[in-house]
Amino acid sequence: MSNLYERIGGQAAVDKAVEVFYRKVLMDERINEFFDGVDMDEQINKQKGFLTMAFGGPNDYTGKDLREGHKHLVARGLNDSHVDAVIELLGETLQELGVASEDIQEVAAIANSVRDDVLDR
Amino acid sequence: MVKIQYGDQLVEVENGQTILEVLLHEGHEIPNNCRAGACQSCLMQAIDGEVPAAAQSGLKDTQKSQGYFMACRCQPSSDLKISPLNAEEIFTTATVIERQLLSEDVLRLRLVPEKPFAYRAGQFVTLWNSQKIGRSYSLASVFGVDPFLEFHIRRIDEGRLSPWLHEQIDINDQLQIQPACGDCFYVPENKLQPILLAGTSTGLAPLIGIARDALEQSHEGEIHLLHGALKPAGLYLHNTLLSMAQAYDNFHYHASVLENDHSIAGIGEGSLDEQAMGLLSNPAEWKIYLCGAPEMVNSLKKKIFLAGANMRNIHSDPFIPASKDNQ
Repeated sequence: MSNLYERIGGQAAVDKAVEVFYRKVLMDERINEFFDGVDMDEQINKQKGFLTMAFGGPNDYTGKDLREGHKHLVARGLNDSHVDAVIELLGETLQELGVASEDIQEVAAIANSVRDDVLDR
Repeated sequence: MVKIQYGDQLVEVENGQTILEVLLHEGHEIPNNCRAGACQSCLMQAIDGEVPAAAQSGLKDTQKSQGYFMACRCQPSSDLKISPLNAEEIFTTATVIERQLLSEDVLRLRLVPEKPFAYRAGQFVTLWNSQKIGRSYSLASVFGVDPFLEFHIRRIDEGRLSPWLHEQIDINDQLQIQPACGDCFYVPENKLQPILLAGTSTGLAPLIGIARDALEQSHEGEIHLLHGALKPAGLYLHNTLLSMAQAYDNFHYHASVLENDHSIAGIGEGSLDEQAMGLLSNPAEWKIYLCGAPEMVNSLKKKIFLAGANMRNIHSDPFIPASKDNQ
């Protein structure tokens, strides 16, 4: 039985998903203000890291990194509704790429598991 | 087991080990983060040997062609010679052979380096004067074609290097230059791909270099160069670009100004953004180069990406002014 990361398609799937996902994020009025003025190439790389983690792939993400990395956004009002929006867009992205709905749920659960770290709680 | 030369040290890499693991174990401080080939913190450059494809996955073609790779994904199967990214830069002495004012505030400076100096048109080079003041300028010349390095220097009144370059430096004077950097240059991977080059002010320097490089390498797709300025006087290579458009069927020049005083005939009024977006019929197919004022570059980059262009096909070089502390 292959694992989630392999079923989704591994790094090739990350590469494919990242631009679709990032476009959705930048166009979403609920969350795009948090991405203003951010270097786009750097952001794409960070999102690749995030997707790799959410897809159950090899990564070194730690709760501490996520906390530190989002503290300035929490100070600007980042809350549960924004995390919900990100997970929703992640789901839409995977649906467009033809990922099975059980796998999408599994990805959403992994993304959801870091919610408290991201929101510094 | 293979041998890796890192700077001046030789290390051995066992089967299955990554270069990052080995170098960290040897006590080197290598920036790294995800160790999954995503964050690119551990980016390095190979100067000799073959880099496994997995170590370059996700990088831009321009980076791949220069031998950049991610140390955390690199399990080499043959010997490699690596240049540490933070290796001490080596300076080259270059002599001024020509200086010409192209407009009120843009100087064309041509230099000849005293030793072989490899670069790609569109990359940037930091020029240093004897007072150790350095500023980066993009290369408008084409390697292997022009027997000199060409830079377009815009005079910044409160700047510390450009007024000196404009007024003090003379023919036969010497400058110190650093190796060319940056990934804003032509790569002949798809000769039929349409290319859009858009820039304001001296953002034209890298763009004309990239366009000429592409034409020299027989690029067959359409090449559209857009130069934007406040007024017609700022279109400092207008006639050169018109001649290029006449000489090459697939090269097109579009000038636009925000305030048209009609000092040059036949120039459209309007923003560079609108012109660029108007040309990009199917953005995902294009290779795009954006250079010049950071606000313009960043906002147009975002628009073009949202319209469907692939990030790997967008090369940008925002001309960020020197920091206040450095002035």
